[in-house]
Amino acid sequence: MKLALIGCGGMGALHAAMARAAGFEVILCADTVEPAARSMAEKYQARWSADPETAARDPEAQVVAIATPTPTHLPLIRIAAESGKHIFCEKPFCRTVRECREAIRLAKKHRIKLFIGHVVRYFQEFEAMRQKIQEGRIGEVGWVKLTRGGIMPGAPGSWFRDYAQSGGVTLDCMIHDLDWLRYVFGEPKRVYAQALMRGEPNPMDYAQATLRFRNGLIATVIGIWAYPSGFRVTAEICGDKGMLQYDSSDAPLSLHSRSVSAGPTMIVPLNPVEKSPYLLEWEDFAAWLSGKGTPKVTPEDAMAAVAMAEAALESAEKGQPVRFPGRICR
Amino acid sequence: MKTRIAILSFAHMHAWSYADCLRQLPDVELCDIWDDQRKRGREAADRFGAPFAPDLDRLLGRKPDGVIITAENIRHRELTEKAAKAGCWVLCEKPIATTVPDAKAMIRACAKAGVGLGTAFPCRYATPVKLAREKLQAGELGEIYAVTCTNHGQSPGGWFADDRLSGGGATMDHTVHVADLLRWMLGREFTKVYAEVGNQLHRRTLKTDDLGSIHMTMQGGIRINHIASWSRPASFPTWGDVTMEFIGEKGVLWLDAFNQKIRVFDDTAGKLIWDGWGDNPDLGLVADFVDAVRNRRAPSVTGEDGLRALEVTVAAYKAARTGKTVTL
Repeated sequence: MKLALIGCGGMGALHAAMARAAGFEVILCADTVEPAARSMAEKYQARWSADPETAARDPEAQVVAIATPTPTHLPLIRIAAESGKHIFCEKPFCRTVRECREAIRLAKKHRIKLFIGHVVRYFQEFEAMRQKIQEGRIGEVGWVKLTRGGIMPGAPGSWFRDYAQSGGVTLDCMIHDLDWLRYVFGEPKRVYAQALMRGEPNPMDYAQATLRFRNGLIATVIGIWAYPSGFRVTAEICGDKGMLQYDSSDAPLSLHSRSVSAGPTMIVPLNPVEKSPYLLEWEDFAAWLSGKGTPKVTPEDAMAAVAMAEAALESAEKGQPVRFPGRICR
Repeated sequence: MKTRIAILSFAHMHAWSYADCLRQLPDVELCDIWDDQRKRGREAADRFGAPFAPDLDRLLGRKPDGVIITAENIRHRELTEKAAKAGCWVLCEKPIATTVPDAKAMIRACAKAGVGLGTAFPCRYATPVKLAREKLQAGELGEIYAVTCTNHGQSPGGWFADDRLSGGGATMDHTVHVADLLRWMLGREFTKVYAEVGNQLHRRTLKTDDLGSIHMTMQGGIRINHIASWSRPASFPTWGDVTMEFIGEKGVLWLDAFNQKIRVFDDTAGKLIWDGWGDNPDLGLVADFVDAVRNRRAPSVTGEDGLRALEVTVAAYKAARTGKTVTL
């Protein structure tokens, strides 16, 4: 199928490569930053555009991939859906639950398929942990701690650092873990969170959240945009018969480059797998489009993840726990 | 003249280590061991070559210079008050008590009797902790914004899991060390507490909480999460941990206080064992107490320090019960 890529930043580049590997043809690359659109288009021998909205209704494209700043997701989804395109949208789904709900309504109305890239559901290490849990290997799970993050993303002035746009580490990064927790353990009951959200000139964010789930589970989640460098994910899952631990810094391959610049160097752990989890999510999306099965993540799931992150942010602002009403994804 | 220290009860396993420390220190005599369980008391007395005193009043009548109280948490107050009345310096195992009024009464009793009261927070004497504190106080991290901590352990069972004797489970057992370290290292007091507390992993075997995820705020708005737990499985390679991640203006500091270990792959035990080789923090704690006794000064870690850490713990239980933050 023919795909228009909107957003030619880091995630856009990754999604273009994975989409192609999953059998899509990249025919158009759009970005408000013209050189980014041009160079990506050159790589895929595609057309380019500096106007995302035009790209979203491109007559040739059957599928639109959205990898743009979070607040632009809904407007682009609206245009693409009204133009009858199927949509792959990077997480977080939208900035607010209200926007997510509208996006779902549009997808239903225009009968298009909408997929949100909650890629952690496809990560082999997280899938291995989920399987161990479901096999009962560690018994009944009572407590989970997930930590994720590293350096503050984006350059000075980037939308990531404008918390009104990005929702900070809670909405942009911790949402992975919030989604995975709900995927594995079901609906949350309440959340308490603290969030740092420091702005310029030394921006950093650091979020600490504790959730109680309906099944009694307590989950502690730490989101980090505050390390001087690097990126690290850890998981610890405790049951009444044992415990699982995962640490991304404990990797089969680590690279420590001799930097030519003056800055300090860092060790980069690498966890190569034959099929990248990003490819797996694109293949899942592709299978859905061709009428085979349903994907691992639905727009309702992605909306629930936004609801969890929004509640965490609300708790951090109010300094009190926030309760989830009933099933949050309805 | 030797400094005469008695140990009151071996209910808490730390008593064995403290007794061992007393033996290592010069000019110190473990003069008496009292225990309400004769078998346990006699066993300790035999091991350390000290007399076993079945009668606490007669022991106190022999006027030891100081006592180390390692009884069940609920008994700390009664034993402290008796020892203070007898003019003994007191080093009390943590948590100092199970309720704030009890802790305050202990502090009052010792002040009235003119004796020093110390809380056994040996983590302050762990060498990596001391170095971390030096770096924080030297400003190497600049302003501290947030801290994420753990004090995990294995389920100790016995009276620790009996609220009537312990005052609470893992949250009571494993909050105070880190609460004290945070105060000591950052020089701030706690202002607000929220917690989720539960029996998450031992529903069939324990009747108390084995996990607390505790959110605290300190003066200046420092955001803290601490996990107090008995979550380490029996197959875990060590007893547990004390860890702290400090997020600061100029950097990040990771402390894993007891992570000085060799890995022992032990076929006899059928599991991996982490064998620690770092300095023994208990020795610093006991040495400070003996020095305090000799110089008629307050121990470095005071009863008030014990009270402050207990207040956070009590607030955590209250927050968990009410579902609301508790202001200190």
